[in-house]
Amino acid sequence: MCGITGAVGLKDISNVLFDGIRNLEYRGYDSCGVALMNGKSIVVKKNVGGVGDVYQKENILRHSSHLGIAHTRWATHGQVTRNNTHPFLSCDNNFAVIHNGIISNHLELKNRLQKEGHRFLSETDTEVIPHLLENAYKKTGNVEASLLLTLKQLEGTFAVAFISNYEPDQLYCAKRESPLMLGIGDEVKFIGSDFNAFIDHTKNAVIIDDDEYAIVSKDGYTVKNFVTMEEVDKPIMRIEWDSETSKKGGYPHYMLKEIYEQPQTVLNAMEVEEGTIDCLVEMIHKSKNTQLVGVGTTYYVTMYANYIFSSLAGRYIPAISSDEFVSLSPADKDSFVLAASQSGETYDTISALKHAQSRGAKTGAIVNVMGSTLSRMVDCPVLQGSGPEICVISTKAALAQMILLTRTALKLGVKNKNLTQKKYDGYMESLKSLPGIIEGILNERSGFIHRIAHSHRNVKHWLYLGRGMYYPIALESALKMKEVAYVHAEGMPCGFLKHGTLAMIDSDINSIVFVPPSSEKALYESTLASVAEIRARDGYVLGIHFEERNRNQSLFSEELILPPVPPVIAPLIQMVIAQLLAYFTATSLKRNVDKPRSLAKSVTVG
Amino acid sequence: MKAVILAAGKGDNLRPFTDTRPNPMISVAGKYLFDHSLDLLQKAGINDIFVVVGHQKEKLIEQVGEHVHNGLNLQYVEQKRAGGIGDAVLKVKDKILPGEYFLLIYGDIVTAENIFTKTQQSFHAFKGPVASICLPPSNEMFGNVFLNANMNITKIIEKPKGDNLGNYVLSGVYILPESFFGLLEKNGRSMEKAIKALVKDEGLRASMWEDEWMDVVYPWEILRANKIIMDSWEHSKISKTVTLEANVTVSGTVHIEDDVIIKAGAVLEGPCSIGKGCYIGNNSLLRSYTALGDNCSVGYGVELKNCVVQKNSHIGRLSFIGDSVLGENVDIGAGTMTVNRQLDWSTIKVKHQKKVKDTGILKLGAFIGDDVVIGAGNSIEPGTIVPPGKVLPAHYSVPNK
Repeated sequence: MCGITGAVGLKDISNVLFDGIRNLEYRGYDSCGVALMNGKSIVVKKNVGGVGDVYQKENILRHSSHLGIAHTRWATHGQVTRNNTHPFLSCDNNFAVIHNGIISNHLELKNRLQKEGHRFLSETDTEVIPHLLENAYKKTGNVEASLLLTLKQLEGTFAVAFISNYEPDQLYCAKRESPLMLGIGDEVKFIGSDFNAFIDHTKNAVIIDDDEYAIVSKDGYTVKNFVTMEEVDKPIMRIEWDSETSKKGGYPHYMLKEIYEQPQTVLNAMEVEEGTIDCLVEMIHKSKNTQLVGVGTTYYVTMYANYIFSSLAGRYIPAISSDEFVSLSPADKDSFVLAASQSGETYDTISALKHAQSRGAKTGAIVNVMGSTLSRMVDCPVLQGSGPEICVISTKAALAQMILLTRTALKLGVKNKNLTQKKYDGYMESLKSLPGIIEGILNERSGFIHRIAHSHRNVKHWLYLGRGMYYPIALESALKMKEVAYVHAEGMPCGFLKHGTLAMIDSDINSIVFVPPSSEKALYESTLASVAEIRARDGYVLGIHFEERNRNQSLFSEELILPPVPPVIAPLIQMVIAQLLAYFTATSLKRNVDKPRSLAKSVTVG
Repeated sequence: MKAVILAAGKGDNLRPFTDTRPNPMISVAGKYLFDHSLDLLQKAGINDIFVVVGHQKEKLIEQVGEHVHNGLNLQYVEQKRAGGIGDAVLKVKDKILPGEYFLLIYGDIVTAENIFTKTQQSFHAFKGPVASICLPPSNEMFGNVFLNANMNITKIIEKPKGDNLGNYVLSGVYILPESFFGLLEKNGRSMEKAIKALVKDEGLRASMWEDEWMDVVYPWEILRANKIIMDSWEHSKISKTVTLEANVTVSGTVHIEDDVIIKAGAVLEGPCSIGKGCYIGNNSLLRSYTALGDNCSVGYGVELKNCVVQKNSHIGRLSFIGDSVLGENVDIGAGTMTVNRQLDWSTIKVKHQKKVKDTGILKLGAFIGDDVVIGAGNSIEPGTIVPPGKVLPAHYSVPNK
């Protein structure tokens, strides 16, 4: 997903263009660029980074202009580099183009154009468009006719916009499948991927439909169909809502939206190329010792991986919290250090990796933001492909990281003969069933979890308990409750209870126990023994388990019974339940869910 | 956008109050449910409103007349024979233009925040049919609306079976296209089937409602609706024509309307609301969540707590009315007691519509229909329903023989 916008007005529009592109940042934010009409020539400024960064780095607001276009990119394939950033210019610099979508026949177009002598600077599909426009203008001598000629050659999906110094007062755009609309202000006219591009300036919008193109000037606009060539009379829609609501796609909060996106996130993580995973496997296999690093949620993600590597790959790979890495790490030239970070900009994690690199260690990272510092500094970057995560609290990104680390452990297990290929296939099948199961949970249990959260919203202290790989799940789940609901929650291994913590148990402290499926016999029984210890002291226990009701009758104070699932995905499903529990507790307590206090999306300070 | 309020249903479950009025004409927190909905609609920028009336329509038609002057374009449409929700919706078929979308509202839902604004926002974002969904307050009401990540409703199950299932339910607020009338006709005028057909054919997007919401189904739920609205009050409102005598204590948020007289020594613990022309006797105690309709009188030393009283009712001296709902023109004799809990603190069961229903509530009083007369000295068992017009003789420990 990318965001495109453009503006044309009587006066300087560079500020409103900046507002527009920043408002589209939720569609992606790994690189951004603008093209501005400067007198009779086009100025292009672009770079890697978020909109704010790029504007600052390139000093874009210094340029004033009455006409411009801007693009923010979220790379899913291909590199994040300055060259691959939109806008793209034609060889003669007379056309600057931005685009959202995929030009499916770009390779053949590019071949042909290169033969004709056009010079390409990027690896993108978009770059064929300015060159096609240049060719067409040579034939037609008219910008609109050039647009039509170009559109005829394009296959695939697009929302495309361009400016040309042959018509320095006009914005051109066209659409097939990818979203596009116009904003009709009094002084400034806009184009945008959606309303957010201009909603701060005008509430009047014209929706462009498939196979339509528009020419926009400071005084007005015309819309025509590029198949029938007829002019289309478009009604102006008045938009009666704020930009936040529309960005959330109807969800009350980004957090819930992102929880609901998890089935897709898991699918994306399952589709990350084998080769990328093999790189990690190879690194771990070759290294004398490997350490995992992360901080906050990603520390718990790596801690979970610690258990997964032990059980599936037969290899002990410790997790170290990034902020403690320097004090603990044995990294040297035979080591491999693997980090997890959503933003790829986490200060503590970057410092840890720099430390490891200074000692000669090889490094890897699982990140969600391509082009981020971490993804550029490590030997072996893995892009998790979870899409932008806007809520400060991480949900879907953490789950995707767990999936990728599980895939790595499985492959390592096969490589060092800890797992047979048959077992590996079985585990992979189980992982593939996860999206459907999560969707079922979200659609069938939300109400029940909401009721539990609501009825316990005033509980001041929670203990989150688990054994084995359920322990990091308990830790992560407790962190969710702390960070979003501001409620004291402590993750702990069940085994700790009888070493002192039981003294805390009374009617003021509630416990949640993550119970493994009964097929994990030893783990299951020892977990239930801990439940009995709490119940014997009149403590409240919410059991999250997979057994039918009658087997555990009266063992728990309340229970959430899940459908039977393969053990390898059981903890992940329980984590999703705990995300909802934290979310609903937070909404019951009227917390600022998407921007909880004292937390930033990527903690870039030490 | 035009709105359609469905208010024709008989609301059997809300008896005794719906014996004499349609659901939306029940007053909570000093206002009819109907007027609460109109307020929210007006704030959501909706002025053209059709009300489908049927059961006990005269009261609603009169109320519709009351509103004509305040800027709303309000009309009623009659459903002559009871024929279900789908049939009621079809009554406005000729009021909506081809291609037009309209807001459809069930008349018995209660929210404090503006659910209509939120649903419209979702409609503008999705540019297609929208159903508002919410998480219901009790397990019993759990239905199951299935969603995908883009808020498309994929499946609707009315009554899910299985252990602790439960999810979002349809909250009774929709934005539907004019073409929906065709779906209703094709599906035997069944709302349920037409909505399912819409999900299948055109698609229906969800708008999540996370604030308080309820569907007033049973008489005891009137108390909860009253609480939801009172909890949303931020300021007190006392009319300048109110007479407050010496030593009246007021705390919390209160709404006191015109010409109310409150005698010396009365204590008002908000939130509570007192309708126009009420008389509150000396030393009476009005505890939180008390709502009195217009022209009620409360005698000396009466204690009221969490109760909703419709207009023109009279509560005699030294009575206790708690966790109860009273209709219009109810006359309660001196020293009457609505007992509101069981000795063993078990949940209160109500004999309702010939079935015994466990309310799950620990404190609940009586539900007394319109025009009931209760003689002095009665004490009423928890969860009792008294049908409209009933006369209960006074209870004497020393009869005059």
